[in-house]
Amino acid sequence: MRYYVTVGDVDLTVDLDADQVRVGERTALARLEAIPGTPLRQLQLDQQFRTAVVERTAEGGWLIGIDGARYEVLVVDERTRHLQGLTQSGGQRTGSGSLRAPMPGLVVRVLAQPGHRVVQGQPLVVLEAMKMENELRAGSAAVVGEVLVSPGQAVEKGQLLIRFSELPPLT
Amino acid sequence: MRVLVANRGEIALRIIRACHEEGLEAVAVYSDADRLSPHVRAADLALPLGPAAPSASYLRIDRLLDAARQSGATAIHPGYGFLAERAAFATAVEQAGLVFVGPPASAIQAMGDKTEARQRMQAAGVPIVPGLTVPVAEAAAARRHAAELGYPVLVKAAAGGGGKGMRLVVEPAELDMALAAARSEAEKAFGDSSVYLEKYLERPRHVEIQVLADHQRIVHLGERECSIQRRHQKLVEEAPSRAVTPLLRERMGQAAVQAAAAVGYRSAGTCEFLVTQDGRFYFLEMNTRIQVEHPVTEMVTGVDLVREQLRIARGLPMRVPQGPLVPRGWALECRITSEDPANGFLPAAGRIQYLQVPTGPGVRWDGGIEAGQEIALHYDSLLGKVIVWAPDRAAAIDRMRRALRELIIAGVATNQGFHLRLLDDPDFQAAEIDSQFLERRADLLAPPPAAPVREVLAVVAALVEEEYRQARRPQIAADGSPTGWTRAARAEGLR
Repeated sequence: MRYYVTVGDVDLTVDLDADQVRVGERTALARLEAIPGTPLRQLQLDQQFRTAVVERTAEGGWLIGIDGARYEVLVVDERTRHLQGLTQSGGQRTGSGSLRAPMPGLVVRVLAQPGHRVVQGQPLVVLEAMKMENELRAGSAAVVGEVLVSPGQAVEKGQLLIRFSELPPLT
Repeated sequence: MRVLVANRGEIALRIIRACHEEGLEAVAVYSDADRLSPHVRAADLALPLGPAAPSASYLRIDRLLDAARQSGATAIHPGYGFLAERAAFATAVEQAGLVFVGPPASAIQAMGDKTEARQRMQAAGVPIVPGLTVPVAEAAAARRHAAELGYPVLVKAAAGGGGKGMRLVVEPAELDMALAAARSEAEKAFGDSSVYLEKYLERPRHVEIQVLADHQRIVHLGERECSIQRRHQKLVEEAPSRAVTPLLRERMGQAAVQAAAAVGYRSAGTCEFLVTQDGRFYFLEMNTRIQVEHPVTEMVTGVDLVREQLRIARGLPMRVPQGPLVPRGWALECRITSEDPANGFLPAAGRIQYLQVPTGPGVRWDGGIEAGQEIALHYDSLLGKVIVWAPDRAAAIDRMRRALRELIIAGVATNQGFHLRLLDDPDFQAAEIDSQFLERRADLLAPPPAAPVREVLAVVAALVEEEYRQARRPQIAADGSPTGWTRAARAEGLR
């Protein structure tokens, strides 16, 4: 089975064949076994053994903790990759047309109003979490379309806060 | 003496341990969210305070005093945060006939108002950071003072600490909003919205002096360097500091002892200074409590600060030798917080699925978490601290790297990866650091993994994806031919 793995902004191809794995130039014996009674896995790569913590994300990717750090990794098979290639070739612009809450919290202030033209980095909403105020800023220049929250409102992670009506021109 | 610990998390456990080593009984308190937290079981007795919100539990002076009465506690240790630096709390504890394990209320009061403290230090001849010594009332006055000081300036809460209610202002246009933000944050964190202005110094090191005072004498226990900060929150601390010579240590130590004497200090406290590149130092503030980073001082001095606090509270003399202090070896501390580097270091929530703490020579874990615990967003994001000791700084860095690789916290995002990248950074290794280091080095916060790690991650991802798909793959019918249902399910599985 061939998988396409995205780590950071790098794509790697991994071929699995029984206990053998090929990644880049390297071929190795690879096993990932559950450590009984724990949520941990033991990774074996030839004579190298590591503890790994894996969690599936809501988006269908994997969070992998290894050697003290944790990374998000995306995996697709050949067929999915092919289909993705087809649907994305239409050239749809996928710029961020909205501002979402990056964490659960309480809206303290809303600094944007519908119709406002905002520049990149401009603070739009102040969200309080863990007693700290966090300014959520515009990722790029845009025009505010709709403000969906108001001060005092509790929001969940990922909740839509602001919808932009107009994205900056493509350059 | 039976000691009520008016706190939670790692510091509650730290204090309970000290009580037990001193032969004292410890009483824990807990909010509804903390009923199953480790500090509850570590103590000899534990009493409920109320709902999860700090304002309904750990900040309720009346409930804490009730808990002390009910449990027969004769002393209260406030830890850090919450009520630790509220003079009103220390006063209420004393008026209830209990011992406050900390400085007198008058000293907390004098140092708690940062503008008053600046006036006192100036009068005592301790150099202070240029800026106002009174709160600024109106935006117009703030604009005038800021222009006089010269931008950039810092807006700081007069009742502040820990970076809360503090804003950096680079240019005049930002001042109004910074004032509003600082005031609002200060009001919430400290119940006091007064702010003042301070000159923003270029690339200073944050160096602080630990002081300890009993009923007879005040001593200093040398410095800690806490320059590695993100948004004024310390992340890494060390003792001693590369920037401090024995002569500078003595001068800063004397200034800190003077500062403590000026307010009639007792117990453990910390004078924070900024040290500029030319070796000048300026008093920033005095923290009238035990600090998060106190263990690094303990590692290089051999003094258990929390146990000494308990002794001093009982009227006993502290066990610190007379004469000048020479720190032994090097200690480093990394604060492990539930902040997600992949999500702009914002606080993350989740359940701790598994916890493996580092051990072995020279390693200390001061934590407040255990497997199964839910990390919610009600409280500070500090999960625990990895502290190491080694004969010198380079060896301490190597030991910390080893320890951080042993630490496994599954189920919640942490800043562990950031610490590992920092330890590998040549500037950090050369101690070429200052309190603005991380602002310049955004690259250390969440860079993509290096090539060898990438390959290992790709293999784990492919293997776990394969396993996930195998588990979801439908069974083939007995005759080997897939039914319509299994075909549909298989297509789903392939999606």
